[in-house]
Amino acid sequence: MATAPSDMHLARSPSPPVDAKAVARLVRQSLARREVQLVVVTLLVFAITTAHDSGFATTGNISFLIADTMAVAIVAIGETIVVLTRGIDLSVAPILGTAALATGFLAQNHGLTPLELLPLALVIGAVMGAGNGVLVAFAGIPPIIATLGTLAVYSGVQGIIANGQEVVTLPPSYFNLGNDDWFSAIPYVGVIGLAVALGFALILWRTRFGRNVYAVGNNAEAARRAGIDVKRVLVIAYVLSGTLAGLGGLVFLAHVGSADSTTGTDSNIQLTAIAATLIGGSTLTGGKGGTIGSYLAAIFLSVALAALVDFRINPIWEPAGVGVLILVAMLADTTTGRPTLRSILTALLERPGGRP
Amino acid sequence: MYEQHGAVVAPDEPVDELTELGPASGGNPDAVAEPVAYAAAGITKSFAGAVALRDVSVTFLPGEIHTLVGENGAGKSTLLRVMAGIHQADAGSLTLGGEPLTHLTPRAAQQRGIYLVPQEPTLMPHLSVVENLFVGILPKGRLPFSIDWRRMRETAGGYFAQLGLKLDPRQKAETLSIAQQQQLECARALVHNCNVIFFDEPTSPLTAHEAQLLFALMRRLRERQFTLGFISHRLDEVLELSDRITVLRDARVAARFDGAEATRDRLVNEMVGHEVKLQRRTARSGGEGGVALAVSGLTRAREFESISFAVAKGEVLGLAGLVGSGRTEIAETIFGLRRADHGTAELEGRKLLMPSPRSCIDRGLIYLSEDRGRNGIFAEVQLAENVTASIVPHLPRRRGLLRPASERALAQEAMDRTRVRTLNQAALIKSLSGGNQQKAMFARWLVTNPKVAIFDEPTRGVDVGAKADIYTLIGGLAESGVAVVVISSELEELTWICDRALAIYEGRVVGELAGEQITVARLGRLIVGER
Repeated sequence: MATAPSDMHLARSPSPPVDAKAVARLVRQSLARREVQLVVVTLLVFAITTAHDSGFATTGNISFLIADTMAVAIVAIGETIVVLTRGIDLSVAPILGTAALATGFLAQNHGLTPLELLPLALVIGAVMGAGNGVLVAFAGIPPIIATLGTLAVYSGVQGIIANGQEVVTLPPSYFNLGNDDWFSAIPYVGVIGLAVALGFALILWRTRFGRNVYAVGNNAEAARRAGIDVKRVLVIAYVLSGTLAGLGGLVFLAHVGSADSTTGTDSNIQLTAIAATLIGGSTLTGGKGGTIGSYLAAIFLSVALAALVDFRINPIWEPAGVGVLILVAMLADTTTGRPTLRSILTALLERPGGRP
Repeated sequence: MYEQHGAVVAPDEPVDELTELGPASGGNPDAVAEPVAYAAAGITKSFAGAVALRDVSVTFLPGEIHTLVGENGAGKSTLLRVMAGIHQADAGSLTLGGEPLTHLTPRAAQQRGIYLVPQEPTLMPHLSVVENLFVGILPKGRLPFSIDWRRMRETAGGYFAQLGLKLDPRQKAETLSIAQQQQLECARALVHNCNVIFFDEPTSPLTAHEAQLLFALMRRLRERQFTLGFISHRLDEVLELSDRITVLRDARVAARFDGAEATRDRLVNEMVGHEVKLQRRTARSGGEGGVALAVSGLTRAREFESISFAVAKGEVLGLAGLVGSGRTEIAETIFGLRRADHGTAELEGRKLLMPSPRSCIDRGLIYLSEDRGRNGIFAEVQLAENVTASIVPHLPRRRGLLRPASERALAQEAMDRTRVRTLNQAALIKSLSGGNQQKAMFARWLVTNPKVAIFDEPTRGVDVGAKADIYTLIGGLAESGVAVVVISSELEELTWICDRALAIYEGRVVGELAGEQITVARLGRLIVGER
């Protein structure tokens, strides 16, 4: 990771002759990037809501909105890797739940610290993820079916581990990790999530595994013919997805402070994670997208849904809101052959037969 | 809609004669009846800033085969796609039989009798042959909501007899070869009662024999006053078939010829804008460099049997055969994509045991797949990373991370060798022309520094300029000591570049020719099983 800053520096250093056209082109190109779009739209939603209610823009609220979505963000980063291989992982909810529950019991009953339980959370996730990977890569089951199956199986495992018990009281270190922040603005878990997003962005961009993920997602047969071990790439992708869901479980536990037999599945966290992945610019057809977009999309979703509440819109509309945002994100993608928001609006506004 | 086609598909009138199919076949007055001219005037079209067509005017007349030629990216396909309603022109007009067409969509075009047989067949893989044929116009059966399957099958059988096709109407489209899929597309145009038919490079996946069947059909359609548009990169067939030829270059019309006055040299010069000579490589006898690849007794049930041959360093060996003769399967088995039942391949005297693409690549054996769209490119990935995809494990890195700068330099070097013409390495490969994509695939394999290179249809769907580059490249590889195996349906190509050629027929090697013995006529006889 040490090489990243030097490259960033190079990219940032301005070219001496500044001409208006080049600047305009740069602005247009960066606005075409989903990451930039998300930052702009998030700030916009933030500004509008703040104008409506000045209480929205307190540092405490910002910090809370970020911390509140970090479990989803971390799960979405893993989901992104799987989606990039042209797969999907529906089973992340019970993986998160199982990790949260298992670590929660040990914390509650034996007082183990988050750092001591981190390896356990990761291992639970990795093992469950490996199950998905084997089903997809070696048994050749389509990802949506394989992980639909394990969604049920892992929910069962979570129920067995719960055995009718719940995690309700945790050592204070958990609450501190999940809810405290620096300068009452930058939540600890937000930084953890950002580090994970950047780390995996680097892995995807600059390692053999990352390259292979894009190759497999674009064209698995061509990847095989280029000497890439497609099965290995798939297994690793699902293991990573599971591992990050495990990490998400620990973050969830720290933030919420409780866990039970339906943690994760009860809030359909896998669907929110997939939504963040798609809104973040990755496509279900594979080979396109990245983790930073997913991270930003998770924060955007959190802000947008909080804004709904602030405008006193009944929370019953929340799922519909997420759905609409997914659809808008699809239409905002100008790089596919699909009609875009702009072309649809132009077509609607144009009178039929009005063009020569 | 159904009635409109009733006249054509009447069950008690099996379609034996093409007269039943023609535009003048009568029936519903709404259906296309008269031969019509189809004109495009001043068409301009650009994609995301790249101009594909610049003020192009072309008229297609009934009773003529009008051919568009030009290099990849010259705008031929785009023009036909505009005329078939797939793309909307930025400027210019379309006139069908004197009537202007506006806001043309693919559906509207088909209803007006305009059909584009696309470059890559677009069949529905899980539907049967007959369903694909009648898609959109399924004939009604007696019961409400029912479909008259028998009538469809009988009619389809009639068309197939017409076209000389051996297709089972009940077969699933996914089980068809590329050639058969192409044939089915042609049949579909007739079934849909179209009288303006465009063929976008229909012959590139076809063998010579299959192409001749298609040409026979096109000539008969011409007699029936159909309006026919055709795109091909094979100039011999262009000269053989065309009444009129329009040459496109750099998105403009470069020249127009009458079929009779056109010659190969004149066409090529107009296409590339300068002189290009495709000529025979000076053949050399192999052997002095030692054997690089030796295949013995390679067998896979129902695909090929007892295949044995050897290629020397610096030699170019051709494998000639019809589509389905087993030539691609042989290459894929050597490269570890399929498992051999018997037999082995030896690379420089060492057996390839349980080969996989990775182990072959690492030991210096590479295989360029015949279908770059399906088995080659990573569409959404940058050009440079497409080139280095096969050597990612061996790329330079620092602290475990790849170094984009040195990777790009490596890719650039390979792309210079293969003459990929593009300014931007960061461009997604899908934005490149077919010829440049193919050269990028060559670059992907050249960066591995192969000792043995198997090229399957190296110039499929590639223009004359790129073809010449690829021949030069293959010659240069052999010169530098690489053993090259070329699989091709274009026999002429094999006569140009091979030192030696094997003919494959029904999974067996049926003949071997060397040097001056390699002629189109001799290869052509061998690959259909004649002596």
